[in-house]
Amino acid sequence: MKKSILIFVLTLTFVSCEDVIEVDLNEAPPKLVIDAGIDWFKNTTGNEQNIKLSLTAPFFDDGVEPANNGIVSISDTNGNTFEFIEDGNSGIYINSNFIPVIDETYTLSVIYGNELYTATETLKPVVPIDFIEQKDDGGFLGEDIELKAFYTDPANIENFYFFEFLSDIPQIPTLEVYEDRFTDGNQIFGFYTEEDLEAGDQVTIRNYGVSDRFYQFMFTLLQQGSEEGGGPFETQPATVRGNCINQSNPDNFPFGYFRLSEVDEVIYTIQ
Amino acid sequence: MRKFLLGSTVYILMFTSIISAQNKYTLSGIITDNNTTETLIGVNIIIPELKNGTVTNEYGFYSITLDEGTYKLQISYLGFKTITQILELNADKTLNFKLEESAERLNQIIITEDVEKLNIRKPQMSVNSLSIKTIKQLPVVLGEVDVIKSITLLPGVTNAGEGSSGFNVRGGSADQNLILLDEATIFNTSHLFGFFSVFNPDAIKDIKLYKGGIPAKYGGRVSSVLDIYQKEGNNEEFHLNGGIGLVSSRLLAEGPIKKGKGSFLLGGRSSYAHLFLPLFDLDNIAYFYDLNTKLSYRLNAKNSIYLSGYFGRDVFSLGDSFTNTYGNTVLNFRWNHLFSDKLFSNFSAIYSDYFYGLTLDFVGFDWESGITNFNVKYDLKHYISDTFKLEYGLNSIYYKFNPGEIQPIDDNSGINPDKLIDKYAFENAIYIDAEHKISDKLSLSYGTRLSTFHRLGQDELNVYQDNNPLIFNNDLQVYEMAEPIGKESFRRSDVLESFTNIEPRASLAYQLNPSSSVKASYNRMSQYLHLLSNTSSPTPLDVWAPSGRFIEPQILDQFAIGYFKSFKDNAYSLEVETFYKTIQNRIDYIDSANLIANDAIEQVVLNGEARAYGLEILLRKNEGRFKGWLAYTLSKSEQRTPGRTAQETGINNGQWYNTPWDKTHDITLTGTYELNKKWSINSNFLFQTGIPATFPNGQYQFNGITVPVYEARNSSRLTNYHRMDLSVNYNPRPDSQKRLKGQWVFSLYNIYNRRNAANITFRENRMDGRNEATRLAIFGIVPAVTYNFQF
Repeated sequence: MKKSILIFVLTLTFVSCEDVIEVDLNEAPPKLVIDAGIDWFKNTTGNEQNIKLSLTAPFFDDGVEPANNGIVSISDTNGNTFEFIEDGNSGIYINSNFIPVIDETYTLSVIYGNELYTATETLKPVVPIDFIEQKDDGGFLGEDIELKAFYTDPANIENFYFFEFLSDIPQIPTLEVYEDRFTDGNQIFGFYTEEDLEAGDQVTIRNYGVSDRFYQFMFTLLQQGSEEGGGPFETQPATVRGNCINQSNPDNFPFGYFRLSEVDEVIYTIQ
Repeated sequence: MRKFLLGSTVYILMFTSIISAQNKYTLSGIITDNNTTETLIGVNIIIPELKNGTVTNEYGFYSITLDEGTYKLQISYLGFKTITQILELNADKTLNFKLEESAERLNQIIITEDVEKLNIRKPQMSVNSLSIKTIKQLPVVLGEVDVIKSITLLPGVTNAGEGSSGFNVRGGSADQNLILLDEATIFNTSHLFGFFSVFNPDAIKDIKLYKGGIPAKYGGRVSSVLDIYQKEGNNEEFHLNGGIGLVSSRLLAEGPIKKGKGSFLLGGRSSYAHLFLPLFDLDNIAYFYDLNTKLSYRLNAKNSIYLSGYFGRDVFSLGDSFTNTYGNTVLNFRWNHLFSDKLFSNFSAIYSDYFYGLTLDFVGFDWESGITNFNVKYDLKHYISDTFKLEYGLNSIYYKFNPGEIQPIDDNSGINPDKLIDKYAFENAIYIDAEHKISDKLSLSYGTRLSTFHRLGQDELNVYQDNNPLIFNNDLQVYEMAEPIGKESFRRSDVLESFTNIEPRASLAYQLNPSSSVKASYNRMSQYLHLLSNTSSPTPLDVWAPSGRFIEPQILDQFAIGYFKSFKDNAYSLEVETFYKTIQNRIDYIDSANLIANDAIEQVVLNGEARAYGLEILLRKNEGRFKGWLAYTLSKSEQRTPGRTAQETGINNGQWYNTPWDKTHDITLTGTYELNKKWSINSNFLFQTGIPATFPNGQYQFNGITVPVYEARNSSRLTNYHRMDLSVNYNPRPDSQKRLKGQWVFSLYNIYNRRNAANITFRENRMDGRNEATRLAIFGIVPAVTYNFQF
């Protein structure tokens, strides 16, 4: 809060300035990144899934390299194993016969560079998005469009939510995570605002059911990344560890997360 | 304890020796400013032929006991005319002095402490005083005179960058400073998120900062004591003074309640409501105000009472979507009583609270948190002989912590009401401190403070498996919060946990020759409150947490040695000090710690340690048309939080890391040049090593966003910080006999408009998706003008 308000206050006093500068940074050797999000959209079979493997890169590089030729599979507790096959040299590994089951526990296995990486996670359900509320005089200046995607939290159980908002304007999605600590059993919302949103723009809103661990992971990640940097409850930057373990060489731990979610999606057209 | 007994033994011995001694008489009294009637703190009362003397205390009182005889007495105070008087001491005498300001009105005091020869001998080191006149002369950003910003110009004092709140003394954190306003503890010193401090300069008489060798009288914080005294108000005449600045305006009224006996002081300050938001016709406000009051009454020669109050608030709101209010309230009753001309006492009863409120309309909740405390102090100063003084007393503080209460703002809100469990504690201390002149060359001060802290019963307390609230997940190499296995309830009178600490303090001064001395000091201190903040400088919504079952009190040990010299007949002085300190039980937060609305802080903290060491040099020119100082600090401040077992990673892999305010080199040059009676020029130059920062050494893609990979905590640094400021004071009619006097202050902050980085953010540009490093520079060149008046 401090910094964001501070920046805000100062911007208005004309004395502060923000500018892009050159900084010499150290470069760490590349590491594996496992972006394994299994998304079961409501009213679909959820058979088609993909997992992305990539490598870390120097901070100012324009992109990251895919991690090719990995061996990727997910197994469930019923003895099913789903092989994920790389699509060319894209680093995207695809499976078309995945069987999603709510509250089922799955284990991910990745062999890359002769090292075995594993992760275990549960497929979490999610409640549907009830409706979208649009407010046209939001933001600090009362000029921005704000969206609230309402959902009804199931009472007396701990729930964690992961929201994704995609619009055409920025290149990158807006991500939010919510817990129900203060909102248990109530109708509550995911919140989105974007400066230049106009009538006619389409916003894809997705609500994912996630685990406590994913909530903690994403909460920390978002504070440190581009999205919420300098946010109210900012913590010190640090390495954020997900739920994937390098079984062959624990010190060479991977980044990323193995998440399985039921998802509700609404495509909303700005009024 | 041994020291304690030793102290008592010495006390008894001295006392008996006094009783048996013949022909000794006591001279005592109160020294005031003849013009303002304010009592003066730190006035020297010297008997040159005996090479002896004393200084006035915080209430302007002095006492000295000498053999019967006729002496020449010198009363001196920088900026005032020295009084020389022949004293025939053949009975106990009370002499009150009124000092006249010296003719050169602008001949301001720079640093009053340690200037006189007497202080070369005094076994007190690591103390800096700044007169409010000096503080008012320093060029400051937006022309807003600021006590806290001013002390960062002293050696060993710094902060975590421009716009950060609080200050850091000798590598300690901001919550380790005991900040006293008329003896009452102030919990948050900042207005507007750290840009300005809560002290209205017009209402302040004197400030004193103890960086080391801290007397046993003070306790409860480990790094420093900032002792601030408010003015009493003029008890002869009514006066009004004030100022109009770019940020705020001030008005202060003072005058007699009963001539010569009682006075009042009432001061207010407020910033302009729409200061920062002039461009938008929206209902946005950001302002602060504070109110200082004091009533002083001299009942008779032996009794005086004081009632002082402070109330300050910040209000920040954006339309009706966001409202934030916070501030301190202090109410303080004091009673000075003279048991005899040798025994001075002060009783204080203090109420203070800190309130924080936040309303987020778009989320639909109200949040309130705070801390309330009742504090009783009884301090006695016993002037036993000219070579031996004792200070002793006791202190009890009762705390109530409200970590937070959340309320839905209306029926449509999706928020459930919730109340974090209130916490209670009781802190007690007794102390004794002796100042002992062993010989003409050697002086000692030694004492000890015995402090206890009881965490009192609360409604619910989590119980954990194996008493371990924080579990290390060895597979994932991360810390995770433990699920409580139950809750215990207690009555308020139950004691959950108790701590007792003995805090010895000692210092010595050895005079090498009349103008130079060496000094050494050691102090141990304990701190039972922890400020929960995972940002580098405090924010208003930080929460104070008491020590208890899972959090141990912080314990400090500090050693310092120093060399002090005055030359050219005190026109110049040099102080060189070096210090080393360690702090045990400095808590730190696990990487995903969420400290806000957290009812079980033990689930996110780990116990660590901190250490700091450094060298400080202060060279001053105290007299003449040009005055000023050069301060240089070479220091290191770091912190470490190792894992509890060999398997655990701790924080930052258990490695030492720089604190956010660690600055290797810190140079300040401050000067005032008096051109003539009308004009004076003041300037600062600062150079500081860039503050530590954590930079990324890589990036990766996850879920459509770019995530930076960070290297070890605080292992890089921002670019060096430097700037120069200039201000000009103009008194249009210095010799005017009219009651109304005005003064203009023109200032330029950061003259050469350097873009000093306050932070560097590494992020993905939301529009083109490329990574970039953005520097935030808070203040470029900032001109300001302030008009001050006196009536």
